[in-house]
Amino acid sequence: MSSTFKLQCHFILIFLMAPRGDSRSLELREAADYDPFLLFSANLKRELAGEQLYRRALRCVDMLSLQGQFTFTANQPQLHCAAFFIGEPEEFITIHYDLVSIDCQGGDFLKVFDGWILKGEKFPSSQDHPLPMTERYIDYCENGLSRRSVRSSQNVAMIFFRVQEPGNGFTLTIKTDPNLFPCNVISQTPNGRFTLVVPHQHRNCSFSIIYPVAIKISDLTLGHLNGLQLKKSSAGCGGVGDFVELLGGAGLDPSKMMPLADLCYPFHGPAQMKIGCDNTVVRMVSSGKHINRVTFEYRLLQPYELENPNGNSIREFCLSHL
Amino acid sequence: MRLTLLMSAGVLLVALLPCPPCRAFLSRGLDSGARQAPQHPQPLDFFQPPPQPQQSQPVLLRMGEEYFLRLGNPNKSPAAPLSPASSPLAGGSRPSPEEAANFFRALLQQLPLPRRSLNSPASPGEHEVESALGGHQEAAERKRRSEEPPISLDLTFHLLREVLEMARAEQLAQQAHSNRKLMEIIGK
Repeated sequence: MSSTFKLQCHFILIFLMAPRGDSRSLELREAADYDPFLLFSANLKRELAGEQLYRRALRCVDMLSLQGQFTFTANQPQLHCAAFFIGEPEEFITIHYDLVSIDCQGGDFLKVFDGWILKGEKFPSSQDHPLPMTERYIDYCENGLSRRSVRSSQNVAMIFFRVQEPGNGFTLTIKTDPNLFPCNVISQTPNGRFTLVVPHQHRNCSFSIIYPVAIKISDLTLGHLNGLQLKKSSAGCGGVGDFVELLGGAGLDPSKMMPLADLCYPFHGPAQMKIGCDNTVVRMVSSGKHINRVTFEYRLLQPYELENPNGNSIREFCLSHL
Repeated sequence: MRLTLLMSAGVLLVALLPCPPCRAFLSRGLDSGARQAPQHPQPLDFFQPPPQPQQSQPVLLRMGEEYFLRLGNPNKSPAAPLSPASSPLAGGSRPSPEEAANFFRALLQQLPLPRRSLNSPASPGEHEVESALGGHQEAAERKRRSEEPPISLDLTFHLLREVLEMARAEQLAQQAHSNRKLMEIIGK
C-alpha cells in the first residue's frame, strides 16, 4: 500500500470519527446544562466554600493552628481564659470579631495580644517587635468594634478573655495572610527547616523552637554581594553589626535567654549545636545595610541525648555543645 | 583621706534622702524587700485581702517599663502559677476561683473609675455628672488602661507543647477531612 494511499485512509478515518466526537460533546453539554466549565460551576464553588469554613467551640484554654470560626460561650463564670493562635512561619494571623456579647462594665474583658505572652515573658521581645508594649494589647472593651479585625505582626497571636455571665461569649473568625519575609516565628513542630531572610531591614528577627533541639546551620550570609564589587560583610558580634546568635532558655522572651553562640561571619557548610533548653532561638540582628540570610535545620533531641551529654556541655543551664 | 570622707558623706546623704515613690514591692514573706512610701499615692498598691490587713500587698511586679500581672490567689506567693498542672482544658477551673474573683473585684474597686465599679449601680444624678465629664474621663480611662499591667497566663512549657500538639493533630485531621470532601465533590 503506498504511503499516499495510507495518508488518505487516515484522513478518511479522521473525518469519520469527527462526527462521533461531536455527538459525544453534545452529550456532555446536555448533562451539564451547556456549562463547559463543569469544575468551576457556581454550585460547586458554593459547596467547596461551605465545606472549607471550619467551626467549633472555643475552650477556656485553647490552642488553634487552623483557620475557621470559633465560638466561646460561658457555661459558668470563666475568669482566666486564653487562647493561643499559631500559623505557618510565613503567615500572619487575622482575628475578626463576628459577635461579642460580654459585659465590659461588669468586669468582663476580651483582649488580643500581638504575640504570645507566658508567665510574663513575651514573644517577640520588646526589642524585636515593631510596636510598643501598650499597643500590642488591643482591648475590645476600649475599642469596641472600631477595630473589628486585628492582624498580628508574626505567625503567633493570642487572646485573653473573661466572661462572668453564663450564656455570654463571643465568636471569632481566624484567617491567615501570607508574610513574604517572616521575621519573628514560633515553630509549630520540633523538626523542620527554615531560611530566615532579612533584606535591608534594620530589625532583629527571632525564630523560636519551644523544644530541646539539635540545630544544624547550613548557610549563613551576612552582607550582600554586589556584582561588581565584593562588599565587605559587616563584622558583627559583640552586639555590633550584623550577626546571628543562638539563644537558649526556659522562658519565651529571647531578650531574657542565654546566648550560647554568636555567628559573626558568613559560612557555608553545616555547623551543628545541641541545645537542651525548653526554648531555642535563632536570632538575627540586622543593621539594614545588607541582605542577611541564614538557613538551618532542627530536630528534636532524644531523651538519651538529654541524659548523656558529651563534649562541652553547660549542665547547670542548658545542655549545649558543638 | 578627704576623698574617702566625701564619698562616705555622699553615700550617707543618698541613703538618708527620702526615696521616690516606689511602685515595686514584694508580697508577704519578703518583708525585708518591702518598701513603704506613705507620702505618695500608690496606684498599684490595691491588692488588699480584707480579713488580713497585716499581710503585705502586691502580686504586681514592675520590671522596667513592663508590668505583668499574675492573676491568682492573693493568699499564695506571687510565683505560684495560675493554672493547675493538670487538665487546663477542662473548662479552665482554678484552685480558688472565688478567691480569684474577689481578688480582681477588689482591684477594680480601688480604681478611681465609677463606671468600672461592679457593685454600685449609678443613680440618675450620677449619670448626668458622668455625661458632663465623659470626655475627660474617657481620656483618663484610656491613659489608665495603657498603664495597666499586661495580662499574662502562667502555663508551663510542657502544657504549652501538649496543647500545641493537640492543635496540630486537629489541623491535620481537618486537612484530611477537607481533602476527602474535595475528592468526593470533584468525583461527582
